[in-house]
Amino acid sequence: MAADDSRQAALCRLHRIDKHFGRTHALRGASLELRPGEVLALVGENGAGKTTLMNVLFGLIAPDAGGFELEGREGFFADAADAIAHGFGMVHQHFMLFDDMSVLENVVIGAEGPGRLGRIDLAARAAEVTEVMRRFGFHLPLETRVRDLPVAARQQIEIVKLLYREARVVILDEPTAVLTPQEADALFSMLRGLAGEGRAVVVITHKLSEVMTHADRVVVMRGGEVAGERRVAETSAAEIARLMVGRDIAPVEKKTHAGTGTRLALRGLLCAAREGERQVGPVDLDLRPGEILGIAGVAGSGQGPLVETLVGLRPAESGRIELDGQDITRANVAARRAAGLAYMAEDRMRSGLAIEASLAENAVAGREAQPPFARGPLRALGAVADFGRDLIARYDIRATGPTQRVAQLSGGNKQKIVVGRELSGTPRLIVAHNPCWGVDIGAIRFIQDQLLAAAEAGAAVIFVSSELDELFALSDRLAVLYDGQVQALLDRGDLETGRVGRAMAGAAA
Amino acid sequence: MSRARWIVPLAALAAIALIPDLRAIALGFLDGAFGGRNMFNLWSTVSRASILLGMAVGVLVAFRAGLINLGGEGQLVLGGLAAALVGIYAPLPVWAIVPAAVLGAMLAGGLWGMLALWLDRGLKVPLLVGSLLLNYPAGYFASWLASHPLRDVASGIAQTHRIDRDARLPRFDGTILDYGIFFTVAVALLVILADRYSVFGYRLRMQGLAPGFARAQGMPTGRLGYQALFLSGAIAGLTGFTAVFGFAQRYVDGMLTLPLYAWTGIVAVLLAGIVPWRVPIAAALFAVLATGAGGMERVAGIPRESAQIITGLVILWLAGSGRSLMRRRGE
Repeated sequence: MAADDSRQAALCRLHRIDKHFGRTHALRGASLELRPGEVLALVGENGAGKTTLMNVLFGLIAPDAGGFELEGREGFFADAADAIAHGFGMVHQHFMLFDDMSVLENVVIGAEGPGRLGRIDLAARAAEVTEVMRRFGFHLPLETRVRDLPVAARQQIEIVKLLYREARVVILDEPTAVLTPQEADALFSMLRGLAGEGRAVVVITHKLSEVMTHADRVVVMRGGEVAGERRVAETSAAEIARLMVGRDIAPVEKKTHAGTGTRLALRGLLCAAREGERQVGPVDLDLRPGEILGIAGVAGSGQGPLVETLVGLRPAESGRIELDGQDITRANVAARRAAGLAYMAEDRMRSGLAIEASLAENAVAGREAQPPFARGPLRALGAVADFGRDLIARYDIRATGPTQRVAQLSGGNKQKIVVGRELSGTPRLIVAHNPCWGVDIGAIRFIQDQLLAAAEAGAAVIFVSSELDELFALSDRLAVLYDGQVQALLDRGDLETGRVGRAMAGAAA
Repeated sequence: MSRARWIVPLAALAAIALIPDLRAIALGFLDGAFGGRNMFNLWSTVSRASILLGMAVGVLVAFRAGLINLGGEGQLVLGGLAAALVGIYAPLPVWAIVPAAVLGAMLAGGLWGMLALWLDRGLKVPLLVGSLLLNYPAGYFASWLASHPLRDVASGIAQTHRIDRDARLPRFDGTILDYGIFFTVAVALLVILADRYSVFGYRLRMQGLAPGFARAQGMPTGRLGYQALFLSGAIAGLTGFTAVFGFAQRYVDGMLTLPLYAWTGIVAVLLAGIVPWRVPIAAALFAVLATGAGGMERVAGIPRESAQIITGLVILWLAGSGRSLMRRRGE
């Protein structure tokens, strides 16, 4: 470890933290040191224990064993309020903001301090917040409702909130998931400024390129343990990835299998907007058999409505959807599935699976009324169980058997059920919405390979993802959504982070 | 932990066995539930269990589909009322009266159930609220009919005339238990089996566990909901038929509402954790509780309302232990 030289400089130290949840050993003697003036990247797969460790730090979870030392004082924080009072602040992945309140109200909430007669002196608070923003170079409209601001600005509100409370330790959980590459760069240069003033900055992430470009030190967690700690200058992305997974992961091999003809045609497709939503469309796209069309965009650029309209969960306002020349614009989900649609929903826990049902029951959903899974109105339970066992074997799903409840499986194994179910029966069009989100690296690779194999077998694939890396790896073409429109449509040869990032931000690519 | 769980019940049983007064009360309870001359009380318990079973199974169908139907009472009353109207006034040959009354009862209950879902989907009245409030018009309408236009004036109380003797459900020899139990047991069996072995049951269950999932997999969720509510109400209506053609032989004002059949049915389903095969057991348990409490009252002067208090405590315990609708299991 390259850490010993700055031992006394540590601001606080978590020491050999152990924590069980039931039979899960979530943290196994994990130690972590935060140092002022440093940007620390905390990386690891889902379930590695990053969030649990941060919750221990914040006093939200009491560990089974281990210690916490802050400036020579021993003992954990009693609760989050105690942590905040000691200058610890955290920006969560899902912002904790009141959408219908102004920026100012959101910043001062909890610290607004009732003045005389219980009155809140917003004008005085506004002056203080303005001063904080001036010091750190933020430009936020204090009177605007949060609802009317873009995502990047909302994140800035969260950060200003911490600075207003004079946080000495700033922790951000997956901060760049909602940002364009350019916005992410701006965020990190701002974080660098905070560190330069002597704050300790922790960024929880799984994007190794960010770690390599922006962090000083990286702590890798795996299976509840600290698998390694490196100075970024003395390591490589490959080494960090190996520490995360425990083995080497070869990059995806992508060949183009796009055939001829048109599998899917979208003509002026306008998605029906729900109340309070912005319009999505009109979208014009053609997809050939065997082609993988990636869809990129900052979260909330219209991916959800577009996918829902494609699979029949949301009506089209106008325009046409043709699958193999057949108009399916008004067809319901069942009819589209019968015509060859497969759909991997983004919200695995609610739309992709019935997690309280068994593995086999989930595996046959959508075909529950067809042979061999049913004879007339009755289910063929033997065939259902056989199919479950078959899926477990073919997809290497770690489960006790076809009757195990899906809720008991890990994220990767859950998603394997979804992928296996949707890819059985040679689909003609696959709509995959963030299929690799929240699963471990090994499973990600497996899912990507399955999608490539399906494309090779002739399926057209619409691959919506929030990760540019995997979009670049898999796409034959990439459509970039911005504000409900296709802002750019790039061929595989033209994929370049700067171009895609500009399109994600609404500029011409 | 597991040892501690047994200490309290064992201590309670020991106390009952050893303390004479408590023993007398317990014997009174057992006599009230299972004893009596010619086992009269046992048949009374079974008869009540049959009604509770019908109500519980009706609720079960809706709950399995994730639809909180609290309108069992109104569906039960309208079903009973429709059965009584057919039984007393329909100009039908005797052999046709029972089938017609069953049909009428199921239609009345089923349509009343569907109305609650239509209020939810059409007018955005939450099903929980709409189904609950629909109990009141149904109940008061039935009260009015039994008190005024259809009243058997000679009898002196708010009730209709009797069902034709030849159309009534016969009783088992030497008991007060009537053949209505065949209907409720058959329906319960059908529902329990269909839940596991039919495509329809599977789809209802998936919709109940994860509505977004059922929709994304292409299941006909719009239709399924109305089918579930119709079935749920129709089973309640059928239960009303068995009461009117069975032990009451007519519609008596309050006969279906005062014993809280519908509510006890809901509690039974919750106690069973919405698991189908456990529902008959839970229904029988609450029947025993109610008739046994009657025995306790006779022997020891402990009011029979204590059974309702126990039921209320069961609801509280269920709510507190987190065994709510959100946490139910698949199979």
